[in-house]
Amino acid sequence: MARHKKYQVDDEANPGLDISSLIDVCFLLLIYFLVATTIQKKEVDVPLALPAAAPSDADMPDIDPLFIKIDATGVIYTGAGSSQQMLDTDNSSREVPQLSQQLQLYVAGANSGGKKPLVQLWVDGGSNQQRVIDVLNALVGAGISSVTFTDLID
Amino acid sequence: MSSKLRKSAASDEECALDMSPMIDMVFLLLIFFVVNSSQIIVKQDSDVRPPVASYGKRQEDKNGRIVVNVYKDGSYKTEQGVILETDEQIHDMVKKAKEQNDLRGYKSKLHLRGDKDAVFKFSRKAIAASAGAGVDQVMFATYVTDK
Repeated sequence: MARHKKYQVDDEANPGLDISSLIDVCFLLLIYFLVATTIQKKEVDVPLALPAAAPSDADMPDIDPLFIKIDATGVIYTGAGSSQQMLDTDNSSREVPQLSQQLQLYVAGANSGGKKPLVQLWVDGGSNQQRVIDVLNALVGAGISSVTFTDLID
Repeated sequence: MSSKLRKSAASDEECALDMSPMIDMVFLLLIFFVVNSSQIIVKQDSDVRPPVASYGKRQEDKNGRIVVNVYKDGSYKTEQGVILETDEQIHDMVKKAKEQNDLRGYKSKLHLRGDKDAVFKFSRKAIAASAGAGVDQVMFATYVTDK
């Protein structure tokens, strides 16, 4: 009996935290992350509201929309008819500086007149997806949210 | 002398592996994975290489997204890999998904994962079919950089 008591006292004098379960949990979490992780590039959204979805603002006065055309080779034009201007022609570049500049001027003009900028986009069916995204990206960059595709049917 | 020997024998008996560096390493790895991991919004088909757009917005929620993968050859697949061969199939799939989203109270949007080298008429077909099914919001999936 006395020996038993002595043993108990000695044990209490050196208390120790058992961390083995903590290590187990950490290893489990680590293995979960190692197994579940796949290295993927993060995707982002370029939003587009089709005309039916775009909220109509009754208070906003009408404005002449800026007409943008993308041809099959990826060349970007603005305007229509005799006022049509050829802008960025380099299909391999992700930057569209001339279009961006024109969009800025158009947005500034619209804002100064208290109007909402509006863009009409005509895309040749043979133009590649990246080129269309380049233009949509420039529109997002210029703060233009009202975009209409003039021809959704080929 | 004899007490010294006894002491050394006792320390041999109690030899233990120092676990602390291993625990440190495990914690470091764990923190690395916890910090770096991000939730996957939609299943990304590696056969589609999305275009690059520097002003793209971070994908926030999965709710309401109806995924259509548009491949370089003009074929279409859903997020689950179901092949969509005709415009009608795209229309029906979008319509069905929209009805489910409506029941759950989510606003439906078309999540268009178009290959950067695909011609736009393929994407336009998917957009038109979705618009016909009543989904007017389109989210083009893009990367921020080419690297």
